[in-house]
Amino acid sequence: MSVLQKARPVSRTEAPREPRVTDEHGRRIRVGELVVRYVLLLAVLALTVGPFLWQLSTSLKGPTEDIFSSPPTFLPGHPTLHNYERVADTIPVWDYALNSLKVAAANVVTNCVGSALAGYALARLRYRGRRVATLVFILAMLVPVEGIIIAQFTTMRELGLNNTLIGVVLPGCVGAMNVLLMRNAFRNLPYEIEEAAYVDGANVWQRFLRVALPSVRGTVAVVAIFAFMGAWDDFLWPLIVLSDPSKFTLTIGLNYLHGTFANDERLVAAGTVIAVAPLIALFACLQRYFFRGVGEGAVKG
Amino acid sequence: MTTSTVTRVRRQLPSSPWLFAAPGLLITGVFILYPFVSTVVNAFTDRRTLVPGKFVGLANFRELLHDDMFWIGLRNSALYVVCVVPALVVLPLLLALLVRKNIPGITFFRSAFYTPVVASIVVVGLIWVWLLDERGLVNSLLETVGVGRVGFLSDQWLLLFSAMAVTVWKGLGYYMIIYLAALANVPRELHEAASVDGAGAIRRFLTVTVPAVRSTMVLVAALSSVAAFKVFSEVYLMAGPSGGPAGEDTTLVMLVQRTGTGLTGRVGYASAISLVVFVVTVALMLLVLRADRRDES
Amino acid sequence: MSVSRKTLATAAFLALVLPLSACGSGGDNGGSGDASGKVEGDITFQTWNLRANFRSYFDGVIADFEKQYPGTHVKWIDQPAEGYADKISADAAGGTLPDVVNVSPDLVAPLAKAGLALDLDKAAAKYKKEYLAGAWASHQIPGTTGTYAFPWYLNTGPLFYNKSLFKKAGLDPDSPPKTYDDLFADALTMAHKSDGKVATLANVPTIEDFGRYGVELMNKQGTAFTFNDTKGVQLLSKYKELYDAKALDPQALTATPESSGKKFLTEAVAMNPGSALDLGNFKKQAPNLYKNIGITDQITSTGHVNMYVMGVMVNSRTKRTPAAVAFAHYVTDAEHQMSFARKVAIFPSTAGSLEDPYFTKEDGTDETRVRIAAAKSLKNAVNYTPVLFSDQMKTALRNEVAKALQGKESPKAALDNAVKACDTLLQQQG
Repeated sequence: MSVLQKARPVSRTEAPREPRVTDEHGRRIRVGELVVRYVLLLAVLALTVGPFLWQLSTSLKGPTEDIFSSPPTFLPGHPTLHNYERVADTIPVWDYALNSLKVAAANVVTNCVGSALAGYALARLRYRGRRVATLVFILAMLVPVEGIIIAQFTTMRELGLNNTLIGVVLPGCVGAMNVLLMRNAFRNLPYEIEEAAYVDGANVWQRFLRVALPSVRGTVAVVAIFAFMGAWDDFLWPLIVLSDPSKFTLTIGLNYLHGTFANDERLVAAGTVIAVAPLIALFACLQRYFFRGVGEGAVKG
Repeated sequence: MTTSTVTRVRRQLPSSPWLFAAPGLLITGVFILYPFVSTVVNAFTDRRTLVPGKFVGLANFRELLHDDMFWIGLRNSALYVVCVVPALVVLPLLLALLVRKNIPGITFFRSAFYTPVVASIVVVGLIWVWLLDERGLVNSLLETVGVGRVGFLSDQWLLLFSAMAVTVWKGLGYYMIIYLAALANVPRELHEAASVDGAGAIRRFLTVTVPAVRSTMVLVAALSSVAAFKVFSEVYLMAGPSGGPAGEDTTLVMLVQRTGTGLTGRVGYASAISLVVFVVTVALMLLVLRADRRDES
Repeated sequence: MSVSRKTLATAAFLALVLPLSACGSGGDNGGSGDASGKVEGDITFQTWNLRANFRSYFDGVIADFEKQYPGTHVKWIDQPAEGYADKISADAAGGTLPDVVNVSPDLVAPLAKAGLALDLDKAAAKYKKEYLAGAWASHQIPGTTGTYAFPWYLNTGPLFYNKSLFKKAGLDPDSPPKTYDDLFADALTMAHKSDGKVATLANVPTIEDFGRYGVELMNKQGTAFTFNDTKGVQLLSKYKELYDAKALDPQALTATPESSGKKFLTEAVAMNPGSALDLGNFKKQAPNLYKNIGITDQITSTGHVNMYVMGVMVNSRTKRTPAAVAFAHYVTDAEHQMSFARKVAIFPSTAGSLEDPYFTKEDGTDETRVRIAAAKSLKNAVNYTPVLFSDQMKTALRNEVAKALQGKESPKAALDNAVKACDTLLQQQG
């Protein structure tokens, strides 16, 4: 399924011996082509990662350094963490980050469990109403969320869960998109895998837990990343549900920066780096499973 | 596999399917579909944030027809689909071909190309507003090479195209991965046969690669067109809440947000716009799926 | 699946879900409007983006209040600047509005109309005389009787200008424009002499600019807008002329207060309205500009400068009316407003406070000079923005003004359209 997996051993063993670079089928790649490829790769790299590095560089520049100069200075002359200190002085970054972490972790768990279960039901189990159930998730994916936020809040209040972290997690705790991703992953599994377990007398829960689920680990990683990203990045919903500042999440906290120091590019840059760094770190850890997972879940719509 | 084994495997405890699906259905029903049903109901009322409102029939929809801002929003959202979708169908495919071969360091490049997808849209918006600022990096560079400064964030069309560029920039990595997985399934022999025939790279791309990943292209088109039509954050963050000069960069979902929120929000009218957005996205989805089905048969 | 079964499933789904929508908001048993009982119990106090800078001040005020009224407990919550209206409307619609809320007049209006704000003329009339009459009146809403929030801090400020840019354009840096005619003439000179590189103004005219220019914004009854009169058209035509000459910044159409402040900081724009707060900012971020900063009065045709008013509202459904009213008054009384004013460049709305030596005695610094001038001008300042002017109306006006500046519509047609759109929105507000 995955290009990465198939190819990794090759790149590991062959990489140090420079001229014998091969493609995924073990054929040699010409040096000229190789140069062209690396030039293109570096160009795209500059485009995709460059903006983040520029933000990082801006956040490390001291108050006396000109951040508007032309031609631009890419590296800070005297790198300083001063801007980060000011962010921490203005808002309780660690408390808010902890809240965000709780919300994100809960969101990851509920999404992985909930969408794996639902995805399995949609892909593998046969029952009346399966198509309606599938349709429910497809429609839910198409609903424009900007229009329903107040109705969501009213419901949450009726449940008595406003101003709680549970209230923040609940509406997105089993994302429709994630359910459909899991469904596709399960559908792409050959039936033979489960057949053996069935013959051994395993019931549906056992087949799900011991056979099907382990085979779609990659998609679970995708769902985990999406769930973490979604919870970590959300601003408007936590703002509306939460009233108590001690429960605020990091995105709300960073908004204080924008509201209080809108004129100071360095400080805003430091805030964005704080917001994005944990995501990049998490992704770096999970990327191996992740790339495999997107393949499983999304190839066949 | 024979049908009978499939049936046997699919047999299970009588109540379990609904137990499996229950958490997901419950959450989706209560927090997405039920609020959406009330949106549908509201679309036929003159409800406002703090005033319950009464049934007004199709009045909101009649008003839409005469609302200039609605047509501007429809134009911009449609334009977004027309410009962004082809870019997101083609560019990630080219990128996938670029990172496909296992040359040293390629895993790093693949991960790096994915970073924009991981970052939140608010962060991405702030980063690009700072980059495209009149005195930001892009303009500094343009001035250094003698082009002069460009008002990316003040001209109506440049603003919209800048927002589109950001959408494409953020989406590249995501669709690249989808294509990468699809390309892995293209049999090598096809390429080799074409090479033996003496086909050049471009012809090989058009005659071998494209047909092989055609259904993936349809999937990418479906996903990206629905997302493009519902675009909100990129344009909102770059053009501001009032939607650029004279509101000319307003998209439909921005209009929903602007008319429907706040203490004086016209919930009924905004719901009517929401409903239009929903119907169009469903139509887009069906259109793409039908194209797909025709391909298959 | 057959069509009929699909329909059936949909119907079943709707039947399941629709009854829920009957129980929307409401069902709150409203508290009494009587503020005369014992001051006790737990109340919640919500401010708007003040925690980051004034945490210790509010902690102190609350501790003092709780000491003065044993048996009370005040929980302070603060919301970020962005999304404040969304937050309040969700709370108002959901019945979770805090007991005491920091508001601006335009936020009070819809809340009062929905019966969510306590009428202070009834519940707290005895405090009325403690405040400046104009400030007290700023939370009254045309079409209703009553006053719906205690006035809190006021803000106004001078016009800053860049002396070196004035000098470069051949203008006298020591005689800044005093009237609109001067301003427009100087702006055109500035643009001409700098080849269109330096603009004098960075923002398109807003409703308060029309007010300051002397345009009648609304009819006397507050039932219709009138800013499309000759004077309004005159102002917009003038702005169009400035825009064409690049005396109004070409990017003004997409400008925000932050972006125009930045332009002034980087000397791309020669004038910018501001407050004493900005001086510190200039000193730190643009020392060069600070050396050349000129300070002059707001330009008006009416003789009344514009002021911004903040208020503190009491939720009419609070269960602790006496405590909520007492606390709202406590935060906004002369003593606490004065101590707050010493922390940040704002001005108290309590009667007599502006006579305090802090607002009258020069000490040679620019900050004090700006503060004294502002305090003086506040005595007859006006909050030009009508309380009924909603966000949607602001957007409508802004967009029509932009069309006129771009030449897509005549100034007259643009203002006619804006008035029409605002009147429709006003009627829909009921």
